[in-house]
Amino acid sequence: MAELTYREAVIEAIAQEMRRDERVVFLGEDIAKAGGVFKATVGLWEEFGDLRVRDTPISEQAILGAAMGAAMTGLRPIAEIMFSDFLAVCWDIVTNQIAKSRYMTGGQVEVPLVIRTANGGGARFGAQHSQAVENWAMMIPGIKVVAPSTPADVKGLLAAAIRDPDPVLFFEQKSLYATKGEVPDGEHVDELGKAKVVREGDDVTILALGLMVPRAIEAAERLQAEAGISASVVDIRSLVPLDTQTILAEVKKTARVVTVEENPRLCGWGAEIASIIAEECFYDLDMPVVRITTPHIPLSSADELEDEMIPSVDRIFESVRREVD
Amino acid sequence: MDVIMPQMGETVAEGTLTVWHKKVGDTVSSSDVLFEIGTDKVEMEVPALADGVLTEILVAEGDTVAVGTKLAVIQGEGEAAQPAAPKPEASQPAAISTAPLKERPTRDRSMKLSPVVRKLLAENNLAHTDIVGTGRDGRIKRGDVLAYLKAPNAAPTAPFPAEAPGAVSGEGITVVPFSYRRKMTAEHMVRSKSTSPHVLQAVEVDFSAVNKARAKIGPDWKAREGYSLTYLPFIAKAVCSAIKEFPHINAHIEKDHLVVFDRVNLAMAIDLNFEGLVAPVIRDADLKAVTEIARATNDLAKRARADELTPDEFANATYTITNNGSFGTLITAPIINQPQVAILSTDGITKRPLVVEQDGEDMIAIRPVGILAQSFDHRAIDGSYSGAFMRRVKEIIEGKNWVESVS
Amino acid sequence: MAKKATAKKKAPASKAKNRAGLNDDIGEENRLRMWQLQLEVRHVEQRLHDLFFQNLIKGTSHLALGQEAISAGFGAAMRPDDYTFCTYRGHAHTLVRGTSMTGMIGELMGKECGMLKGKGGSMHLTDVSKGAMGSYAIIGAHLPIAAGAAWQAQYNNTGQIAACFFGDGTTNIGAFHEALNFAVIWNLPVVYVCENNLYMEYTPISEVTAVEHPAADRAGAYGLPSIIVDGNDADAVFRVATEAFDKARSGGGPSLIEAKTYRHSGHSRADPGTYRPEGELEEWLKKDPIPMYRQRLLDFGVKEDVVSGIEDAVLQAVDEATEEAKASPTPPMEYAYTDVWADGGSSWRN
Ligand SMILES: Cc1ncc(C[n+]2csc(CCOP(=O)(O)OP(=O)(O)O)c2C)c(N)n1
Ligand SMILES: [Mg+2]
Repeated sequence: MAELTYREAVIEAIAQEMRRDERVVFLGEDIAKAGGVFKATVGLWEEFGDLRVRDTPISEQAILGAAMGAAMTGLRPIAEIMFSDFLAVCWDIVTNQIAKSRYMTGGQVEVPLVIRTANGGGARFGAQHSQAVENWAMMIPGIKVVAPSTPADVKGLLAAAIRDPDPVLFFEQKSLYATKGEVPDGEHVDELGKAKVVREGDDVTILALGLMVPRAIEAAERLQAEAGISASVVDIRSLVPLDTQTILAEVKKTARVVTVEENPRLCGWGAEIASIIAEECFYDLDMPVVRITTPHIPLSSADELEDEMIPSVDRIFESVRREVD
Repeated sequence: MDVIMPQMGETVAEGTLTVWHKKVGDTVSSSDVLFEIGTDKVEMEVPALADGVLTEILVAEGDTVAVGTKLAVIQGEGEAAQPAAPKPEASQPAAISTAPLKERPTRDRSMKLSPVVRKLLAENNLAHTDIVGTGRDGRIKRGDVLAYLKAPNAAPTAPFPAEAPGAVSGEGITVVPFSYRRKMTAEHMVRSKSTSPHVLQAVEVDFSAVNKARAKIGPDWKAREGYSLTYLPFIAKAVCSAIKEFPHINAHIEKDHLVVFDRVNLAMAIDLNFEGLVAPVIRDADLKAVTEIARATNDLAKRARADELTPDEFANATYTITNNGSFGTLITAPIINQPQVAILSTDGITKRPLVVEQDGEDMIAIRPVGILAQSFDHRAIDGSYSGAFMRRVKEIIEGKNWVESVS
Repeated sequence: MAKKATAKKKAPASKAKNRAGLNDDIGEENRLRMWQLQLEVRHVEQRLHDLFFQNLIKGTSHLALGQEAISAGFGAAMRPDDYTFCTYRGHAHTLVRGTSMTGMIGELMGKECGMLKGKGGSMHLTDVSKGAMGSYAIIGAHLPIAAGAAWQAQYNNTGQIAACFFGDGTTNIGAFHEALNFAVIWNLPVVYVCENNLYMEYTPISEVTAVEHPAADRAGAYGLPSIIVDGNDADAVFRVATEAFDKARSGGGPSLIEAKTYRHSGHSRADPGTYRPEGELEEWLKKDPIPMYRQRLLDFGVKEDVVSGIEDAVLQAVDEATEEAKASPTPPMEYAYTDVWADGGSSWRN
């Protein structure tokens, strides 16, 4: 085990897979010589060279389109979209092309690629560089959606995404890039589509994703210490495929569920999970499913305003304490 | 200042607000008793801790709320009323409830059963009136049903008829409302009686050997410790020793099995000068000497009467002794302290003529004699086991060299 | 199984000089091939048109009647392992790669024998085994995708090229410009072909475009030469195609070619084409590539019975494919739930 930052884990995962598989190539804006605007790709160009690590023009459709064309003819591209907000300008390639091609062609076309993108808020970047858009991605049939919260998961899940035969949208939370954690040495590959119970508890289950995971854990510790409430925390990790088994088992155990979502409220991933729980676990519930989300408002840039919007440890703590009585 | 439900012990997560001593609009000073709270273990008076005017009461009498819940607001002098900060209401309907607690509709939430509670009730053929809800506004939580179900063959535990005749104090009648503790005791007693098939067994015990020790160190003890060395610690010690040979006496019933404990946590029933009964615990009593048990018992009794015990001091009892000896009672049939398996009553010990054998001849002697009576749960053990245990207690009390064990 | 009777009936190889003794840079074999391809496109499109009116084909469909020389010319110049990317007006480009007519007609009829199992339809015809990498119905999307396929060829040094076909209207969408710039800076072996049929849907392209030649006038912006070709002359198309492919294969980078043409039918099934000025269609029918090319072959001395024999064989193949497709059952319901993921299924949860 080595202690790595979240961004170093990105580099490790890509390097691990590029060393292993010649078909893995990497493209995006400022990712090669500059090492990425978040410095999450430093050193890759130096190791793998011009042919495999390529800077692109500011052409998001061309980046994802080229990645798709390369993937369907045998390469394993990783494409970076600098900020997840920018997915809007190449959303056609994601939703209409990458996601649908296998189905529309009766299984003839394969699109094994990974779109990495810096997602979410907390960096005071304002509304066009801070959205958590995982719920956009979740609603499209044909795309896997992964959002790790720890460096170890970044390495394991990114490696798994690169090896996966299906297209994967990989959301890196930009506020987590500097966070540290133990990461397994050597080759490390995790499994897509598995949630992780990161804290065991009996009274309530908090479901969280990305940046919300460390906040949920901290809130759970406080709930234990200050209110005697024993909370489970589940890191959802993968929205598609969704590990409903782990989630529903938790519902059966604690009978109380709170989702903590960074995405704006409407159609957030928690809404889908709440509906699954209502359909399949209704008779195990001891209170309504509660969703703690960013309000349905574009994000602000001022520290205080942004902090007010994105679910905080305090808000999680207060909401859970109020609801679980 | 917000008034918060205090933490009344590490193992306690919630409490019931039993009485408000002030009403909205009253001026309060920090040392005034503001309200009382009760758990199933203790009652407590809570002071206001601030000077000012009580402007809001958010939790009604009888409501059980989590530790940390805001109960009331005291507005200090010169402190402006705090308008609620505008919250993004529409966007946060579930996460942030913007309605202040006091505006919560007053309809009977206890009738709003969660799906899992409905399921459990249906599966177990129960009515929601069978269960005492401990949630917000008396809501029945899953845990309430599960706790209820822990006692098999459970029957309704509601201690009082649902529709009470509306008696009022008047000529010849005084209506005495039950205190919170009285209600809790009532509930526990009804539940215990309906849960456990009680069987009473009693033995007559000669306390001569104990008296030798009391005579030897009693006067000194009284002078030194300030209270008498009674029979009780000797009986307790004998019980602990006998339990080593009959461990199933020292147990809890859980659903369909017995949980037998290595250590004896001995609950001592203590009367609060006719104002209630509590049973705090001497932990690891089996490891304690007679004198240590004596001191612990005295300490618990003193603090119980001063209302100084914490909820933790009531937790995890494994066996209970109740002592009515001071009233000279002959025999008492005690009710089991759930979920334990048995309870012992000690009654009056008086000098009585007793046939004893001396040098192979029967003769009548004057001896201090008392009856020890144990109620046991026939689900857990049978009369032979309980009888053998009682015989062993008697043997120890009568045969042990107590002088040695206290000097 | 799909049958392709005509494909096997190869015309005898020609000599470098044709029968009429004219200098011939294309050769009879290629000419007969292009003749056959143009006829396949013409008769399949015609048949699809008829099947619409018998209500055997639903949905929408965009025919390339009148534009056959472009798909045939490029198709004949391609290597079997080259990639084709085309649009919803893509029956022609898919067909010229040698895909099964039955699979194509069956797909439009929504039959089990359909090349996409009934899941794609007219606008998404694809036959990866023949290098037909898909028909794309979002304007412009496939231009960068074709660049990606060319990137693969470049990366693995395979000598393949990607040919990407689109309309005049497509030159006004962002992806066109992103893709061209991208292909040039990465020097990719991709050939972009704009089929300028004068209309984007119902609006004349001249009304909505800043330059006269929507593709050719923009080539300079990407450092590429302006290339315009008569899209109704298969030979002319074949020549520019060969040149562009050679350039791409030899590391010379991408090309942008504008082929002038005209569609004889409306934009799609529902369109009677009433927005066209009177006489325009008649003018273009005089330049119909099929009769023009028949005459070309006769001029080069190919025997009338050879020329007609190929057409008869094509017609017969189209008839057979139509009957086969009609006889095919509707797709099993399970097909609806397959092929979302690589494991063959559609499950998004455990
Ligand atoms: C992004 C997008 N916008 C609009 C359409 C609707 N549409 C379909 S075909 C078409 C006209 C395209 O014209 P052109 O590129 O000249 O191709 P042609 O149909 O003439 O072959 C339009 C506007 C579309 N499919 N995609
Ligand atoms: Mg056009």
